[in-house]
Amino acid sequence: MNVAATITQKPEGATVYQAHRSTEDLEARELTGSQILCEALMREGVELLYGYPGGAIMPFYDALTSYPVLHHILVRHEQAAAHAADGYARATGKVGVCVATSGPGATNLVTGLATAYMDSTPIVAITGQVARPFIGRDAFQETDILGVTQPITKHNFLVQRVEDLADIVHEAFRLARGGRPGPVVIDVPKDVQFSKTQYHASTSISSIERFRASRSPHPSAEAVARAAELIKEAQRPLIMSGHGVILSNAYAELRAFAEKTNIPVITTLLGLSAFPETHPLSLGMPGMHGPAHVNRAIGVADLIIGVGLRFDDRVTGKASEFAPHARFIHIDIDPSEMHKVKRAAVPIVADAKEALARLIEAVERGDNCTWMNELRSWEADDSERIASIQRNQEYPDPTSILEAIRAETNNEAIIVTDVGQHQMWTARHYTWTRPNSHITSGGLGTMGFALPAAMGVKMGSPDTVVWVVAGDGGIQMNIQELATLKQEGVTVKVAIMNNGYLGMVRQWQHFFHNGNYSETPITGPDYVKLAEAYGLTGIQVTKRGDVEEAVRKAMGTEGTVIIDFVIESEANVYPMVAPGSAITNMIEEKPEESTYHD
Amino acid sequence: MTDQTQQGGVSPAPTVGAGLTPPWPHVERSGQSDAPAGTAQSHTIVVLAHDRIGALDRIVNVLRRRRAKMQAFAIGRNELPDVVRITIVMNDSEVGVEHLVEQLRKIVDVQHVANLASEQTVARELALIKVNSSESQYASEIIELGHLFGAHVVDVTQQSITLEVTGSEEKVEKLVNGLQSFGIREVARTGRVAMTRGTVDP
Repeated sequence: MNVAATITQKPEGATVYQAHRSTEDLEARELTGSQILCEALMREGVELLYGYPGGAIMPFYDALTSYPVLHHILVRHEQAAAHAADGYARATGKVGVCVATSGPGATNLVTGLATAYMDSTPIVAITGQVARPFIGRDAFQETDILGVTQPITKHNFLVQRVEDLADIVHEAFRLARGGRPGPVVIDVPKDVQFSKTQYHASTSISSIERFRASRSPHPSAEAVARAAELIKEAQRPLIMSGHGVILSNAYAELRAFAEKTNIPVITTLLGLSAFPETHPLSLGMPGMHGPAHVNRAIGVADLIIGVGLRFDDRVTGKASEFAPHARFIHIDIDPSEMHKVKRAAVPIVADAKEALARLIEAVERGDNCTWMNELRSWEADDSERIASIQRNQEYPDPTSILEAIRAETNNEAIIVTDVGQHQMWTARHYTWTRPNSHITSGGLGTMGFALPAAMGVKMGSPDTVVWVVAGDGGIQMNIQELATLKQEGVTVKVAIMNNGYLGMVRQWQHFFHNGNYSETPITGPDYVKLAEAYGLTGIQVTKRGDVEEAVRKAMGTEGTVIIDFVIESEANVYPMVAPGSAITNMIEEKPEESTYHD
Repeated sequence: MTDQTQQGGVSPAPTVGAGLTPPWPHVERSGQSDAPAGTAQSHTIVVLAHDRIGALDRIVNVLRRRRAKMQAFAIGRNELPDVVRITIVMNDSEVGVEHLVEQLRKIVDVQHVANLASEQTVARELALIKVNSSESQYASEIIELGHLFGAHVVDVTQQSITLEVTGSEEKVEKLVNGLQSFGIREVARTGRVAMTRGTVDP
């Protein structure tokens, strides 16, 4: 077996490293655990690692300099390493890798691992551990990271013998990307990194692998036939597509399925950009901040075809009142998602791409014109009502910011959002057409995700323009990564929707806590000066009329640019469904309640 | 998002090896599910897992997260090297157990999970019961009572007699109750182990 690796540019120049090495050569000599780790990562096709060195991982960092094919990015906080690996994985579909030392280094990864776990993204985290004789003895920088990360990883390993290391790395990558993807931790004691053995990855499949393979999910013919029957019978069907469509790269299948059956398509937050929003069958996002006509459609639908989604509580609201008249066809690769929230009339445990391909063959051509026209009329009524609300025209507003970004990038950018109001505004008001162009922390809702994740996104797809949209709260959570962007020469454009509040919490306080704005007003730095301090460019925009020009200027400026958009301070995201309420029971914007003041 | 509303109440800590009737009322666990919860009943779940670091933790973690009402948890080896066999006795609805089984199957170390149907299952528990016998006239009564339950005497001292009994939880409980009047010093129960009758594949 020959391994050929051709990759990567070190920041300072164009050194292209090529490794051609046969396994036979490799097995002839003894390598340290650290070298084996590097060899195994190389064989997994790893190009980028995000990490931070420290005592227990130093042997690995020592070996790393001999493997220039493994481009390591020194982040400024380990949390950012995990988010960057996550962003890289989401943008490329490949496994993202992050590295940290034991103890505090490893625990700093935790939020990033939990984020990846909730959103099913494949990352492998390598952590240093104290030497084997010290484990369990409260050694310096010792943390039981296996115990800590167990509930938030798909699997984790403690390497006990250097002989197992190569196999463990390969198994970790298989696990991270297989089935429903997720994060995997490999904890490597320092003395294992020093120990020597021959590189030998076993070719035999372990018993666990055999077991996994036997459970490899394919849609059953009966289930597909039954689903086709339900689709034929339905008068008011809806497709709900989730993250699974993106993870399995099933864009074409989803589109072909929708077009053949003429069923309108709803996309969840993590499903956004799985289906072009300019398509006549595209309906929008459901749930807590979904537009009214989408939630109303779910309320009267008689069939829901869920593809690669888990009916999260932010989507369903009160589960028992979610789609009360509908039967469910539920396609998901994870059998434990079946019947978890809604009883499925037809559960299909399968990869979304394969299941949709089979369904396309099984279904008859459908016509849902009457249903679609009804939905469009609701949508038109809503738009008319919303348009009639008088608004402040002075401040930059989310819609104009997003429209400017969309127009200046010809819909070709990838947008990475943080968590809060701006996230919902972006999800709602940006027009998603490019597949996989929307990246956000949906399940865990991790503030501070956007900036480091965008770094991973950009490095995974260097030819694409990457915009960060963040609030003034979240951007301050991992702001230190501006230094990493600068050092690595990675360019992202950052739009801060700055309202001087932790806006989403403030909105909840407004609606559910009698307007008691407890600890939500927040100040921040002068972002223009901050950008300059990091050697980057900063722009502040305080007027609606300056939005487009600022976005254009950011696009025309080399390097990372931060735009501080000072927006209306107390604007709310409408409509809103109170938590635990039925999604058809929406708080809608009314002219007299408008928070836009003249 | 930064906001989270927690659903459902807190269930009491499970008493491992306690009797079969749970002393707590049925608590609706799945506030977010519309699946009919049904009536909770006792289930015997057998898990075969690869004996690796963390395997047991992962299984217990799933039970903890679900606030499973565990009544017994027995762990031992089976016929294969590197495999542990775990028998869990717990109270839940049919729907709840189905979901639990699927969650257990997702654990990488887990090789097999079966929810054993009670009518097709042989289930046994072993108990060691140490009884006061300092008043020597009762010693023969203790041994005689034990014999009624098929118990063996495994240890005798001046102060105590230790009986070993095997059988259903009910049988063990009956013997324990019968011995109460002599003064029980200590009871050790293994929790239920079970397998299907005949060659039925669970």
